Amino acid sequence: MYLAGKVAMSAFRAFWNSPVGPKTTHFWGPVANWGFVVAGLVDMNKPPEMISGNMTAAMCVYSGLFMRFAWMVKPRNYLLLACHASNESVQLYQLSRWARAQGFLDKKEPEVQQ
Amino acid sequence: MAASKLQALWNHPAGPKTIHFWAPTFKWGISIANIADFSKPPEKISYPQQVAVTCTGLIWSRYSLVITPKNWNLFSVNVAMAGTGIYQLTRKIRQDYFSEVQEAPVEG
Repeated sequence: MYLAGKVAMSAFRAFWNSPVGPKTTHFWGPVANWGFVVAGLVDMNKPPEMISGNMTAAMCVYSGLFMRFAWMVKPRNYLLLACHASNESVQLYQLSRWARAQGFLDKKEPEVQQ
Repeated sequence: MAASKLQALWNHPAGPKTIHFWAPTFKWGISIANIADFSKPPEKISYPQQVAVTCTGLIWSRYSLVITPKNWNLFSVNVAMAGTGIYQLTRKIRQDYFSEVQEAPVEG
């Protein structure tokens, strides 16, 4: 029990003092970006008429680019990568909901309504 | 001479051949999308999304000034994000809480 506590404390200390830890911007920037994922998840239950095609499409490109950025930046930022990979999934799903509501995914002639 | 300066920019480690350039540059797309959405009716604005845009913009604006080197492109894009997010939020809040209250949809 004591040993488990010691291990936990040293793991926590390693995290706390990490060059990408909570004392650094490399941590809080990505944390802020998780807001997009949370917002996207909350919005999954809203009717598709409320989805902004502009914003969702922009998010899809944005998160795609930032997944690559998180991988290439020094130090490599796995938290940012995870955040944008999640956001990419959520935003692509929202985009598909929006597209279906707009009639873009029908087989027949889609009525292009904005 | 101009050609070699251009070449220096082109080959820069954070230049247009790298993701360090395109990722922040594309972040402008989010603010542009928001500006395009200024003309949409406030019922269509999403509180969670705009709060996320605003908070991200504010936090990253601050942090782009404390990293080395200071990244003014990143700073300006995040200031714009915070600005457009705040504007969208005020539009929606104004409609939900300050206009004719018939059936104010109070949703987060």
